[in-house]
Amino acid sequence: MSINYPELANAFSVAAWQREPAQSIKDNPVAVLAEIPAGVLIVDAEGIVRFSNASASTMFALMPAADIGIRSLLHLSGVSNAVELNRAIDARAPSDAIRVGLPDGRILDARIRPLHADAVVITLVDVTTYVREAALAANDPLTGLPNRAGLIAHLTNALGSAKTTGAEVAVLYLDLDRFKLVNDTLGHHIGDLLLIKVADRLRNATRRTDMVARLGGDEFAIVQENESQPRSAEQMARRLVELIGRTYVISGHQLNIGASIGIALAPAHGHDRDTVLRHADLALYRAKADGRSRFRFFQSSMDAEMQVRRRLEEELRRALPLREFHLVYQPQYRLDPHRLIGFEVLLRWSHPRRGAVATSEFIPVAEEIGLIIPIGEWVLHTACREATNWDPSIGVAVNVSAAQFRNGKLVDTVRAVLRQSGLEPSRLELEITETALLDNTEIVLAQLRGLKQLGVRVAMDDFGTGYSSLSYLRKFPFDKIKIDQSFVQGVEESPDCGAIVRAVVALGQSLGIDTIAEGIETDEQLSRIKAEGCRTVQGFLTGRPMSPEAAIELQRAVAPEQT
Amino acid sequence: MQDALHQLTYFSRNRLAGLEEALHDGIRDILSVARRNNATVGVTGALIFNSLCFAQILEGSREAVEHIFERIAQDDRHEDVTLLTFSPAAERLFGNWSMAYVGLSARDTERFGGFAGESGFDPRRMSADALGQAIYQLVYDRDGPA
Repeated sequence: MSINYPELANAFSVAAWQREPAQSIKDNPVAVLAEIPAGVLIVDAEGIVRFSNASASTMFALMPAADIGIRSLLHLSGVSNAVELNRAIDARAPSDAIRVGLPDGRILDARIRPLHADAVVITLVDVTTYVREAALAANDPLTGLPNRAGLIAHLTNALGSAKTTGAEVAVLYLDLDRFKLVNDTLGHHIGDLLLIKVADRLRNATRRTDMVARLGGDEFAIVQENESQPRSAEQMARRLVELIGRTYVISGHQLNIGASIGIALAPAHGHDRDTVLRHADLALYRAKADGRSRFRFFQSSMDAEMQVRRRLEEELRRALPLREFHLVYQPQYRLDPHRLIGFEVLLRWSHPRRGAVATSEFIPVAEEIGLIIPIGEWVLHTACREATNWDPSIGVAVNVSAAQFRNGKLVDTVRAVLRQSGLEPSRLELEITETALLDNTEIVLAQLRGLKQLGVRVAMDDFGTGYSSLSYLRKFPFDKIKIDQSFVQGVEESPDCGAIVRAVVALGQSLGIDTIAEGIETDEQLSRIKAEGCRTVQGFLTGRPMSPEAAIELQRAVAPEQT
Repeated sequence: MQDALHQLTYFSRNRLAGLEEALHDGIRDILSVARRNNATVGVTGALIFNSLCFAQILEGSREAVEHIFERIAQDDRHEDVTLLTFSPAAERLFGNWSMAYVGLSARDTERFGGFAGESGFDPRRMSADALGQAIYQLVYDRDGPA
């Protein structure tokens, strides 16, 4: 049986429809085709369009011109991806959705179903809104890169096809170093412009087949497929660290940031999506911990190390409420005549199972998770309250971390602590390391000045270990310089250390700043330090850190000599 | 402010590898692209180059200079791109050239005196002003751009 095309056309005549609607529907269920919102084309065995409905007419330029070839129609209407559609039509077989575009931006899903006598019916569904919304949902509006949802979808596909082809997939997690500083100091607008430039560099440095996504904030990810690994990921990471680290100029500002990258490979480091992502994240964590602006591949040991760290973190969070911290006090002396002048406060953590945990082990973790702020406050409160029990001539020195400066509330905290404890401000000395100063000079300097106005003393800790000690001495009137123990302990072996100590002491004298040598452990060190002109000392030799009770006892013992 | 004349000076290590012939082809590429692109956005400047380093002065609107610098920053042929100055400028030094070029020919090397020798031209040892002056001199001592 052949299709009677003229009859088919008649069935759709509007007049007939209006005259006897109910009858028409019943007699010609196919008539409904004329009105449905999807476009319908019927193409005969010769490829001629023999029928089109109203929706199809809105899609193509030449409708409802009769008897035009489907190829010509698609071509003349400027349909994109027509090649695939034509091939499917020629196959005269049922097809999946074939996505084609119209010149006005509309996107259609075309499906082919064969009819008898080698004719086919093509249905065309407008999916423009759906596609746009999906694209929007999977894209980051700022950079135009796919977002996390886009990455997840892409990686799922990539891992799926890699499983069948045996190909390798690499995931590179990338985090910007010092981006927050740009945002904080120059504002979000400049930060956004910087992110756009970073995205641009990433796009240009990667291949067309790589996927670059922005996961949010200053985090990006790249998925590499069908490359030989790990060589390709390594090359890419090396290139990106260098490229992202190059100077940016934005709105008249010269900006320098860095990139840290963690890499995980499938199947080498994991088969499923979540494992690969988690391992890339762990590797990124390691890259940052190793000093940033570098890349690291995932290693299975990282998993275990992270478990250990996570446990430490959990226990550290409980330490303050469970009162597992306590303070010890290390005496500081002036020499010739020997005289106790104060104590440096040191934090100790006694964990019920771990025992005494080294500060070098838990302080960096506390800083990283922000716990150093409440811990630092507790230390200040406790130390100042304790010092009110002491002789009024004895000072108390408390370490302040970079995070406390960044937090911006240090001045308020110190003011509150002084008020509550009633401690004379001049007896409190805050020790700040160069590393804390490095972070953000202006903000830090403003806070240092605020502290000075409260009447507390400010000491530069670990002097000589940072990069710019001298320039900071010029920028802010420190009350004291603490000569780093590496120089003090080196005076026995190295003449250079002696020279450095002598120079720092002389520097202090000419600037009117006290100098104290810390970490003195032997008599030899003490006499050398003395010989270099240093008059104030602290160390295991002159006095170990002690309990608050012992500190009070020590003051009683030396009191008769000192008064 | 955005339209005000800005001047940017940078130097970078040259990653064009190979024989002199290849170097010259590479530099010709860079120049022809620079000249074409710079002219359309009103950027003028000068490029000095030898087998080790590039040093370049770009002058134009802030936006245009920033845009061109970003392209340079992304260019694989440069390494260790170091920005020396970026600031508003009163007038153009190289108003006539979309990109004047000073190759270090034997004659130029001689002219460059202390700055070029066995070790090559090393702009790191010069202040931005001195570098600008050196490039300026080289360009204007010649009859015109290469």
